Amino acid sequence: MRPFRAMLNGHKFVEVSDVVRVFATPEGEVRALDGVSFDVQQGEFLSIVGPSGCGKSTLAMLIAGLMRPSAGLVAVGGRTVDRPQTSLGIVFQNPVLLAWRSALDNVLLQVEMRGLDVRQYRHSAMELLASVGLEGFEKRLPHELSGGMKQRVAICRALIHDPPLLLMDEPFGALDALTRDQMTLDIQGICARGSKTVLFITHSITEAVFLSDRIIVMTPRPGRIDGIIDVEMPRPRRLAVREGPAFAAYTRQIRDRFMARGVLRDIEDPSPLAPLGGFPSPLASPRGCGSPLTPPSPPGGEGAAGA
Amino acid sequence: MRWREWSPPAITILVTLVAWEAWVVGFRVREYLLPAPSGILAVLAAEWRYLALHTGVTVYEILWGFFLSIVVGIPLAIVIVYSPVLERAIYPLLVAAQSVPKIAIGPLLIVWAGLGIFPKVLVAFLIAFFPVVIDTVAGLRSVEPEMLHLARSMGASEWRVFLKIRLPNALPNIFAGLKVAVTLAVVGAIVGEFIQADRGLGYALLQASAMLNTKLAFASILILAGIGTVLFVIVDWIERLLIPWHASQRVETAAGTL
Repeated sequence: MRPFRAMLNGHKFVEVSDVVRVFATPEGEVRALDGVSFDVQQGEFLSIVGPSGCGKSTLAMLIAGLMRPSAGLVAVGGRTVDRPQTSLGIVFQNPVLLAWRSALDNVLLQVEMRGLDVRQYRHSAMELLASVGLEGFEKRLPHELSGGMKQRVAICRALIHDPPLLLMDEPFGALDALTRDQMTLDIQGICARGSKTVLFITHSITEAVFLSDRIIVMTPRPGRIDGIIDVEMPRPRRLAVREGPAFAAYTRQIRDRFMARGVLRDIEDPSPLAPLGGFPSPLASPRGCGSPLTPPSPPGGEGAAGA
Repeated sequence: MRWREWSPPAITILVTLVAWEAWVVGFRVREYLLPAPSGILAVLAAEWRYLALHTGVTVYEILWGFFLSIVVGIPLAIVIVYSPVLERAIYPLLVAAQSVPKIAIGPLLIVWAGLGIFPKVLVAFLIAFFPVVIDTVAGLRSVEPEMLHLARSMGASEWRVFLKIRLPNALPNIFAGLKVAVTLAVVGAIVGEFIQADRGLGYALLQASAMLNTKLAFASILILAGIGTVLFVIVDWIERLLIPWHASQRVETAAGTL
C-alpha cells in the first residue's frame, strides 16, 4: 500500500485554502472555521480530529459543496467547488436509510437518483453488501437491522458508484464500542481495495490513528488547524497495533495537543494507587467517584502490570 | 389469539345493548323518548328501502367531499412546501378559513351553490380538507436534512427527490390526515343536509325527529356511525396496503403495549 500511495504523492485531490465559515446566529456571528488550509492527496486516508464544535462537519459540507465558504477556496479534482459535488460518497453519523426500502434497494438509491441503470448495479450492490457481512440481509428493511448493520448499508450506498472521494462524518459515532472496532477494520479493508481518497471526520483519536495516513488536529471554536500528523505504520493494520508503542506515541501526540488547548484536562495529582509508575493507573478514578465498598487495588498492581 | 383483539369491544357493545334493552323494558320507557335496541333493529329491517335511498345520497356526498379534500389538499400542501412565498400567502388564510365555523357559512353556500347535492359536498370538503393539508405538509417536511444532502450529492433532480424520498416519506402523515378527513367528511355531509336538504340521512334524521319517530332517527344515526366506521376501515386498509413498512412498525408497538 505504501509505495502506491507514495507514488501518488504530490497529486492534490482536495485543496482547502484559507477557508473561513461564519454562521449567523441569534447571538451574533459565530466563526466555525477560521483560515483553514490543507490538501488531501489522491489515494490518501486523511482524518480530521477535533472536539465538538470545531467545525469539522462544516468542513465536510464545504468539500461536498453542500455549503459555501464565507471566504477562501475549496477545490476537488482541480475544480473549484461551487455546487454540490456528485463524484463522491458521503456517510453521516446517522445512517439515514429509507424505511420503506430493503437494504439492497437503499444501496441502489444512489444508482436510481443518478438516473443510472439499476440492473447493471444490482450484482455489485449484492457483492458490496456481502463484503461487509450483510449476505442474506439484502431483503431486510432498515427497522429489521441493527445500528451497525444500518451503517454498513449506508457505507455500501456511498460506495456503489465507485466514487474517487469518500467523505465520512463521524460514521461510527452512534455505534457501540465493539461494533466500532469491527467497522474500523471493515473500512480499512474497503479503502485498501480501491485507490479511494478518504476524508474521515471523527472525535476518536484511536480511530484516527488506526485508519489514517495523515491526521489533522483541529482547535475548538473557531476551528483552526492545530497540527498535521503523519502516521507511518505499515498496512494493513491489525487491532493489536493499538497496543503497540508506535500507536501510543501517535495518540499521545494528539492528546497532548488537546491538553495544551484545554480540550482535555487530566486529573491534577498523580494517583496514589500508582506510586511505582510515572503515570496514573487507568483504574484510578477521580476523587468522589470511587465507591467506598470497593476494596482498593494493591499498590502499584495495575501500574506495574501495565508498565 | 385474534379473539383477544376483537372480544373486548364486542363484549362492551353486547353488554351495553343488553343493559339498554333491559332498562327500556324494565322501566317502560316511552318509545319516542328512548326506543329499545330491538325496536331500532326492527325499524331498520322494515324501512330498509327508505333508509337505503337516503344512505346512498349521503355516501355520495361524503365520497365527493372526501375526494375533493384529497385532490385539493395534497397539491396545496405540495405548493406550500415548495414555495416559501406561496406558503406565506396561503397559510394564514388557510388557518383563518379553518377557524370559521362551517355551519355558519352553510346558508351562504346554498345561496351560491343552489339546493342540490353540491353545497353538501362543499361543506364536507371544507371541513375535511384542512387536516389533509396540514398533515401532508408535515409529512413532506419530515425528511431528515442529511437525506436531502445525500440526494443532492447524488445529483438528483428535485422531481426524483420528491417521487422517491419526500412523497413516500410523507405517506404515514398523509394517511393520518386522510383518516381524520374521512370522518370529518361524514360530519360535513350531515351538516350540509341539516342546513337544507330534501334527501340524505341528515334529512331523514330531521324528518324522523320532527315526527317523534325516534326509532327511525336512531336507525339513521346507526347507519351514519356504520358509514363512518366502514370508510375509516377502508382508508386504514389502503394504508396498510400502500405502506406496509409503516403498518408493520405500528403493529409492533401496539403489540408491545399489550
